[in-house]
Amino acid sequence: MTKSTPRKRFKLSVVVDHAVLIIGSIFMIAPVLMLLQMTTMPDLINMKTGPILMIGDQLDDNFYKAMFKADGFSGANTGMRMLWNSMLLGLGFAAGKIILGMMAAYAIVYFRMRFATFAFWIIFTTLLLPLEVRILPSYEIVQRLGMLNTYQGLIIPLIASATATFFFRQYFRSIPEELVEAARIDGAGPFKFFVDILVPLSKTMIAAMFIIMFVYGWNQYLWPTMITTEENMFTLVRGIKQITQALEGTNLPEYGRANMLALIAILPPVLIVIFFQSWFVKGLTESDK
Amino acid sequence: MKRAAFTHRWIPILLLVPQIAIIGIFFYWPAIHALRSSFYLQDPFGFGETFVGMSNYLSLFKSAAYGRAAIFTVGFTLIVTFLSLGIALLLAVKADKVLRGAKTYRTLLMWVYAVAPPVAGVMGVIMFNQSWGPLSDFFKSLGWDFVLGVHYYDTAFAMVLIAVWKQIPVNFIFFLSGLQSIPKSVREAAMIDNPSAAGRFWDVTFPLLAPTGFFLLITNITYSLFDTFGIIDTVVKGEPGNNPMTLVYKVYVDGFRGNDLGGSSAQSVILMVLVLAMTVVQFRLVERRIHYT
Amino acid sequence: MRSIYISIVRRFFRCRRNHFCVLFVGEDLTGEASMKRLSILSAAAISLMASSATAQTEITWWHAMGGALGDTVNQIATDFNASQTEYQITPVFKGTYEEALTAGIAAFRAGEQPNILQVFDAGAATVIGAKGATIPVQDLLTENGADFDINDYISGVRYFFADSDEKMIGMPFNSSSPIMYYNVNAMEAAGVEAPKTWEEFETVTAPALAEAGYIPLAQSHSPWIFVENFMSRHNLPFATNDNGYKGTDTKILANTPELKMHWSHVKDWLDAGYYAYYGAAWGDNQTPFEEGKVAIWLGSSGSFGGLAQMDLPFEFSATYLPYWEAVTTEPTQTFIGGAALFAMSGKSAEENKATAAFFEFLTSPEVQYMWHKETGYVPITTAAYEMAKADGYYDRAPAAEVGIQQLSLPAGENTKGYRMGFYVQIRDVMNREIGRILGGETSVDDGFAAIETEGNDLLAKFAQTQSQ
Repeated sequence: MTKSTPRKRFKLSVVVDHAVLIIGSIFMIAPVLMLLQMTTMPDLINMKTGPILMIGDQLDDNFYKAMFKADGFSGANTGMRMLWNSMLLGLGFAAGKIILGMMAAYAIVYFRMRFATFAFWIIFTTLLLPLEVRILPSYEIVQRLGMLNTYQGLIIPLIASATATFFFRQYFRSIPEELVEAARIDGAGPFKFFVDILVPLSKTMIAAMFIIMFVYGWNQYLWPTMITTEENMFTLVRGIKQITQALEGTNLPEYGRANMLALIAILPPVLIVIFFQSWFVKGLTESDK
Repeated sequence: MKRAAFTHRWIPILLLVPQIAIIGIFFYWPAIHALRSSFYLQDPFGFGETFVGMSNYLSLFKSAAYGRAAIFTVGFTLIVTFLSLGIALLLAVKADKVLRGAKTYRTLLMWVYAVAPPVAGVMGVIMFNQSWGPLSDFFKSLGWDFVLGVHYYDTAFAMVLIAVWKQIPVNFIFFLSGLQSIPKSVREAAMIDNPSAAGRFWDVTFPLLAPTGFFLLITNITYSLFDTFGIIDTVVKGEPGNNPMTLVYKVYVDGFRGNDLGGSSAQSVILMVLVLAMTVVQFRLVERRIHYT
Repeated sequence: MRSIYISIVRRFFRCRRNHFCVLFVGEDLTGEASMKRLSILSAAAISLMASSATAQTEITWWHAMGGALGDTVNQIATDFNASQTEYQITPVFKGTYEEALTAGIAAFRAGEQPNILQVFDAGAATVIGAKGATIPVQDLLTENGADFDINDYISGVRYFFADSDEKMIGMPFNSSSPIMYYNVNAMEAAGVEAPKTWEEFETVTAPALAEAGYIPLAQSHSPWIFVENFMSRHNLPFATNDNGYKGTDTKILANTPELKMHWSHVKDWLDAGYYAYYGAAWGDNQTPFEEGKVAIWLGSSGSFGGLAQMDLPFEFSATYLPYWEAVTTEPTQTFIGGAALFAMSGKSAEENKATAAFFEFLTSPEVQYMWHKETGYVPITTAAYEMAKADGYYDRAPAAEVGIQQLSLPAGENTKGYRMGFYVQIRDVMNREIGRILGGETSVDDGFAAIETEGNDLLAKFAQTQSQ
């Protein structure tokens, strides 16, 4: 009696642990399965009954429509075009952020400068204010610079914050000081030290940062919504707005196509996060924003 | 800065110029511009403007709608933060404990990190569709007449649920890595001292996770305030109506949809002050966190 | 199937930098695409190539017509381009009405405005108030040698987008009015006719429909139908200063006994199950009518085209918006809703000439009749209306005539329109307070008092933006 109770309780707690985790996992994945189900059904059924427990045969048809069908006179906002724009935004944002961040962090950590403290504060104040709170004036300035509906206008204002700089500053400071001393004794200049030692040393960190920044850039919504009004500049996430508006129209709403586009919009970043999980987790937990 | 190694004069400046230029043009200029516009009323087409002093701010403080948005924002932030931290902590503790399938659970619980907020919003809108949404139907079967977009609190509930769903993964990842960094020796010692699992959690694990928790608290508040924009925008379907909205969404509605540049700039400035205050707190906490580790 | 994807993907990437590539991709889809779509694409491709050969004047047109409406807009543009060789127009879809207006304003400030911008009723004061931003369409047409006579236009359409001197500033384009759609089968089942007055609805129609198992009434745009057009239908003033046309120091008259009487009844109907409210979004209120749950739905005359194409499981028809006999025994016409096309200033004389030519094309009876038939929006000229009548269109689809008939009802001193700044926000305030009234969060009195106070604050603010 007394011996079997703890064993039983132990087992029960394992069951409870798994049950909690399974419920959690279902909670996370169910909405996406629902989207997927709706992409296999004809739109008429979607409109009348919504998601049901049935798999239809419209998957490839909806995929085809989502990728290659466009609205509008220009015929420019196909899924392919939006995928391309999202890719450019994600990559451009991640690359720009990391290159600028590393350069600035290098200057701050490894150089004796007169205005070091000043530069530090100039840069790190930007950590405080997300783009959303200065969205309208930012928009006005981009408009004044004639950068509406351009890739520069889309990407550069998003880069104007110091998250990557801060991250690399912390990381560089954790690199042993002896390394610089040794390099200097070997006669390495600042450029050589940066390219030959610091960058190779930071490889994992760069990869981790890249993944996080790519996902962040890819998922931008408010800024692309404001800055791009030309159909050929839409990103997938910005295109979502168009999709929801189409669902509100008077004709047969194209749930299949819309949901397929939503799935296409989440697939690349999700796959990256899943496949580069360890880098991603490392980057996220060590960056501390 | 004692570790500084190189003493070149121009190289550091050249390295800093791109970053500072971009920040100057796209951060400081807009911020100052917002400050200035908040004291003016401007014709949308840019033909005329009138200096109105503090009147944009005063009318905000008088406005019942702004007050409601502020109250909603506070409530929304508290609930989303509390729920997403709580659920994520529970899942992280369990995921840390199980031996079988730990990796699969971890993947299943974290991938949502990569889903864009407006896409999460679209899923929510389908789930809560007025005619056939599975979740609306479910609540109706429980006797709750759930109508998205009509009942204020139903809409708010949907927004909270979607926002929590989207935020659980980040918290989960941080809590799990926090748990896994607790040294084995500490765990074993606790095991001997305290045989009850719940007691062990509250006496040992929870205090050790507290620094991570503090940090996540700020992250979650920022998330609820700003990153939920896409969720709100898709859930209200472009018609603010009598739906709940956050302060950031109101900046957008008044400025971008309604073309009231002065009033919306004043709202921006208020948010800036708010975030500044919050970040001061954050820096204090981060400093304390460094002392811990 | 897969090989097609791959070939298209290859093609797409190969010709990404080429302007014509997307069009070629379109042509690859012959099998899938409808003939109409194909004709648009190929025509566009051909004319694009032609444009690079000869020196055509190119103009752009930003609009907010999505879905099937957008297809018709594209058709009009294609037809215009095919009808002559001097000019080339490109329509661009810019999202919702609000987004199109904001995009147009931003572009104007950046000096990159389109030649033609579509602005909806609520944005009229903003765009007309900014005097240097547009060229009055009346001046544009006269200067470019077109014979313009405002009396050619349907009386209800004429003055909404005109200034206080009754000069037409914006060219009415998609003009609609709120009308009453009803489910004929439901009416028969309940043994009632479509109500003419709200009294009749309340005492006869609604109880019978409810008895027959229907939700009697829903509507899609409360501020538009139950506030703005409530005023015009009963010939009540909606704002001081001649409904806002004469000056910017205007006060909105939303806190009136008639309006509050109406909304008290609406709230009672809601409580009695005679009325249903599905939120501020248009589609959420229309869907239950399409599903056959709601028997009477108040929507836009422009919804007709969509409903007719939808293959509904019941027969539907339409008639005039009811009125309160207690308020007036001589109901008047309603305002037009929808939007107008504005010619933006700062363009070369050449391009303005092209814009004028397009407006002439657009107002020709043939184009107007086609637009009317495809979409359900009313024809804006008498000539087009006559053409539709002569063609026997209304014999085939009587409900399509309701909108224009309602706009041709007797006019009153308060029916030509209204002109209020920051009106997008005023409408948002109305939507919010109406939602609160119907949700029981506030009373009718407090709700409309709030609409008036906040509306007047916004109007005062707008007046300050206009002083130079």
